Amino acid sequence: MEKYEKLEKVGEGTYGKVYKAKDKVTGQIVALKKTRLEMDEEGVPPTALREVSLLQMLSQSLYVVRLLSVEHVDANSTNSNLDDSDPSKRNHTNNKSNLYLVFEYLDTDLKKFIDSHRKGANPRPLPPSLIQSFLFQLCKGVAHCHSHGRAFTVPLKSYTHEIVTLWYRAPEVLLGSSHYSTGVDMWSVGCIFAEMSRRQALFPGDSEFQQLLHIFRLLGTPTEEQWPGVTALRDWHVYPKWEPQNLVRVVPSLGPQGVDLLSKMLKYDPAERISAKAAMDHPYFDSLDKSQF
Amino acid sequence: SELHQTPATELITQFLEISEVGSAHQDALNWMLKVHASYRFRPETAYLSVNYFHCFMLSPRPLQPVKGWPLQLLAVACLSLAAKLEETRIPSLLDIQLLEPRFLFKPSTVQRMELLVMSCLKWRLHIITPFSFLHYFIAKLPHLSPRSKDFILTH
Repeated sequence: MEKYEKLEKVGEGTYGKVYKAKDKVTGQIVALKKTRLEMDEEGVPPTALREVSLLQMLSQSLYVVRLLSVEHVDANSTNSNLDDSDPSKRNHTNNKSNLYLVFEYLDTDLKKFIDSHRKGANPRPLPPSLIQSFLFQLCKGVAHCHSHGRAFTVPLKSYTHEIVTLWYRAPEVLLGSSHYSTGVDMWSVGCIFAEMSRRQALFPGDSEFQQLLHIFRLLGTPTEEQWPGVTALRDWHVYPKWEPQNLVRVVPSLGPQGVDLLSKMLKYDPAERISAKAAMDHPYFDSLDKSQF
Repeated sequence: SELHQTPATELITQFLEISEVGSAHQDALNWMLKVHASYRFRPETAYLSVNYFHCFMLSPRPLQPVKGWPLQLLAVACLSLAAKLEETRIPSLLDIQLLEPRFLFKPSTVQRMELLVMSCLKWRLHIITPFSFLHYFIAKLPHLSPRSKDFILTH
């Protein structure tokens, strides 16, 4: 880790801190995501282990953030190269140990970018051509993950319930289904698509229940006809029966093709929801020069 | 990249011909499979843990665990890594060390070994297994309700 000079802290989450740093030799700017390894508990945390190995598998695509390397650092030791060290000879009393994920550094992210168009000195809509280009790149990245991600393409028994930031969480997950699949990501893509056009979140719920109500108020309360099996889901209750609203009202600037694509991403029945690959062929993208991607 | 992750069969065969190594090695593998069975882990977990074990054994390094506690420590770490990747319910590092009266490793020791194995695998724990294809073929089966497909996949 001595090869990097930390420049500033750029983020913090439950997992740990993120730093902007510079490679002392090459001058390359990177993002260091620090994960604490508590030495006396349960070994390498499953979340860290899954994140690293999934990224190793997926970050070959230009549209997925690049993981450059993984470094392990002991607080009392400067040796970050684990390859040839004998565990029996190492200092076991040391309790501070960190895992650093070294990523390519990106100046901003879509959330910050949208916010910069909503707040600040010069609030303005995102140009339609930019929304189109961003959405295409997003679909491309998601399509890459779905074609390589064996681990999450498959609906399994007992997947965890606590996935995805609440506002972007698909209704089947909110309703307690554990057999969800790639459709959950397309729901999120739809929410982001709408958010780029509106410059505010489509379904800003503050609890799982409120989140469902936000969705039902716009798209109507789902029925067995629309979504076979919905009333048998674990967390289904009797909800007020809202009628579906016209999507154009929430994304007026998207245009008819954009609204059509959005409605296909926000289908209630996950089996009917458009895939990332099919979305890339939707007429909404006809006016886009795809050769640049 | 999948090819790089498959240990060469002839290397394994040569390695196991050294009889002392062979039997210790066999014991370690058997131990992993017994613990796997007693926790009713998924088949993928067995496949992955054995694969990690072989990858580590066949990587060039000055101190290779050939028998005794280092070999058992390797087995514990490989099984633990595979369970963390594949299982939704993961036993603690002490609970996973069932059925082995000779050694009990502290979690901090197992973690060091986990890190060694992970770095040896270049942090790529998602190895392609035959199970990776099973879902695909089952999904293609006609005349099966989603329910029965789930049943096949989870049994």
